[in-house]
Amino acid sequence: MAGHDPGDGGDVTAPAHSPAAGTGAGAGTEEIVEVGHRPIREVNADIRKAVARGSRVRVQDTLSRHNLGVALPEGADLVFEGSVGYYCGGLNNGATIRVERNAGWGLGEAMASGVITVDGYAGMAAGASMLGGLLHVRGDAGPRTGVAQKGGDIVVEGSVGFLSGFMAHAGRIIVLADAADAAGDSLWGGEMWVAGNIGSPGVDSRIVEPDAEEVASVEDLLSSLGVGDVSRRWKKIVSGQKLWHFESRDAQAWLMI
Amino acid sequence: MADDLTLDHDDPAAFVAGSVPGRPAGAAASYESGDSPRWTPHAIADVQAKAQLGRYQVRGFSTFQRNLPTLDDLVFVPATMTRLPLEGYREDCDTRTVLGDRPGLVENPIELDTPVYIASMSFGALSATAKAALGHGASRVGSMTCTGEGGMLEDEREASDVLVYQMTPSRYMLDLDHLRRADAIEIAVGQGAKPGTGGLLLGMKVSQRVADMRTLPVEVDQRSTVRHPDFLGADDLRVKIEELREAVDYRVPIFAKMGATRPRYDVAIAAKAGVDVIVLDGMEGGTNAAPELLLDHTGIPTIAAIRAAREALEDCGMADEVKLVVAGGIRGGVDAAKALALGADAVMIGTAALIAMGCNSPCFVEDYEAMGTAPGRCHHCHTGLCPVGIQTQDPELEARLDVDAAAERVARFLTATTMEISLLAKACGKSSVHNLEPEDLRALTLEAAAFTGVDLAGIDRPFDW
Ligand SMILES: Cc1cc2nc3c(=O)[nH]c(=O)nc-3n(C[C@H](O)[C@H](O)[C@H](O)COP(=O)(O)O)c2cc1C
Ligand code: SF4
Repeated sequence: MAGHDPGDGGDVTAPAHSPAAGTGAGAGTEEIVEVGHRPIREVNADIRKAVARGSRVRVQDTLSRHNLGVALPEGADLVFEGSVGYYCGGLNNGATIRVERNAGWGLGEAMASGVITVDGYAGMAAGASMLGGLLHVRGDAGPRTGVAQKGGDIVVEGSVGFLSGFMAHAGRIIVLADAADAAGDSLWGGEMWVAGNIGSPGVDSRIVEPDAEEVASVEDLLSSLGVGDVSRRWKKIVSGQKLWHFESRDAQAWLMI
Repeated sequence: MADDLTLDHDDPAAFVAGSVPGRPAGAAASYESGDSPRWTPHAIADVQAKAQLGRYQVRGFSTFQRNLPTLDDLVFVPATMTRLPLEGYREDCDTRTVLGDRPGLVENPIELDTPVYIASMSFGALSATAKAALGHGASRVGSMTCTGEGGMLEDEREASDVLVYQMTPSRYMLDLDHLRRADAIEIAVGQGAKPGTGGLLLGMKVSQRVADMRTLPVEVDQRSTVRHPDFLGADDLRVKIEELREAVDYRVPIFAKMGATRPRYDVAIAAKAGVDVIVLDGMEGGTNAAPELLLDHTGIPTIAAIRAAREALEDCGMADEVKLVVAGGIRGGVDAAKALALGADAVMIGTAALIAMGCNSPCFVEDYEAMGTAPGRCHHCHTGLCPVGIQTQDPELEARLDVDAAAERVARFLTATTMEISLLAKACGKSSVHNLEPEDLRALTLEAAAFTGVDLAGIDRPFDW
């Protein structure tokens, strides 16, 4: 499967160090929060305080630490200047978050609203169980991307790994490159859009031709992210609905699960 | 030609009297009663059911396994000469129960007036009226209740003074606002009735309201995922717990609920992963629906799980930090007191609370009959046709449950259960129900002694391996 080079996302240029945390910054200003080896509780508390002051926050020295920027409210505007570990932006409640390098497992898991952008790659289960908002990964995303998704959009400019979309309920997973095996396995609802190759469709999935209106809606979203391209040939994966009911007696499907 | 059926009445060896025409001579009884120990009527019916359905059978309630050791094999040995009893009808016995009191990690531990609370039972499995009644009933007596798999109902939150929010692998309606309004968060890893599998709610119960809350198509047979979407092993769980603590700002405790399978190891791993409370559910645990084979043949019984779990906490040096809640087949104060004595810090009840509300009560008898059952033996929760309005999403059936009356019954049952526990504790000379200990018990069978390490009755010695 072709990987995707997220361009200069991996190259971090040092930001201008505008007012440091705790210097009385206010609305419209930018504050810096350093992570390093400090307790995450302290780091997140500093982030929340800066957000409450109405500042934009640049988070530095991230060291791929876990649980950065969890459960942030609407209006929060954060940039992580390095890579982040598990659950960055988890339970996001309206914040705009950018990760300038890579993200670990469970990026934006259970997010209800807001926008999370990763300039590099994302690990397993990006957007797991998310309810709404937009998750945008410029590189590849790992296995189980959008697992149990309940709403919102996940856009992956690169490829997604094994079992992406597993048991998703609603929302869209839009993949500009390839989807690995078991794509859209056991979907309840929701849609998985793939512009490249599909390794293999998952159990009880169906590949359908999207209609023009649906394609326009996806391309509009992509254009707004600067990656629109109307020449793409989309395949849309939806639920085969054979596993929805115990009584469907489709032995082949049943034995595969 | 011998057909083994035709009895020759003239044969001098024939038992003529009592023989049954069409049955082999002398074998009337075994054929007539069908008492093959292998092909029991149940085994025959099971094959026939599967031959028609093309799948395993699903049902509610709890296990029908007949070979389980039970807490009935233990008795209390109250204070006599070696210790002093408390006045059972006069003196105080503390029943207050604190869960999740980990300094620095939990700002608001759970504080209850009783060691017994209501288990996680989802809205979807239960009607909204039943959920509200459980909340009101528990609140009236200083107990608590839990949401269950399908998300938090507004009625339930309002009704419950103390409410645990359950986070299952399916993450239906997992919402930051609900997490923050909960008094504790329970990470569901499994349940006793069907360990190793996810939730199951048949289409009859997936009404529009239930479907909307779970983001599911209406009337699907919902079989939920068993693995959490974003963590796999204990190391990940540790990170997940930190995420949840961050989301609720370290205000409330984090529970992990699991079916009892390998408690000695599972409990130690969960404790090390950082949970504050472990809820261990034995194979007798109730359910709204489960594959019958899982109910009867998976997990271990509650009596066998408790000591192993307690020892696991002690072995890893976390007995003071992590609390143990036990569930699965607890029918009242006697079972609860035995569980406390074996090492539980609190006890959780599901089925007993439903029965207190009116499950299996002799009302609307014709509706039980229409399902082929009767009050006292109903286990048809999976059908959604609950005659008493507890396990249904049918508005007409649901309306049969009077919320206030059901809440009062739950409150009284919890009161009675708490009284039973404290009566036993006082007889054993304890001024707190939490001082009950294995020494207060004796085993009536070798099996119970072997499972629990409790001394054998009379001889006062442990089972010697
Ligand atoms: C109707 C019903 C619904 C249940 N729903 C859930 C659930 O949503 N999540 C869960 O972890 N356990 C669920 N359980 C299991 C209970 O939380 C609990 O473990 C069990 O009922 C304890 O056993 P008992 O019924 O013998 O007291 C349910 C049980 C019942 C009876
Ligand atoms: S009465 Fe209702 S709750 Fe009780 S066993 Fe029957 S269906 Fe289940």
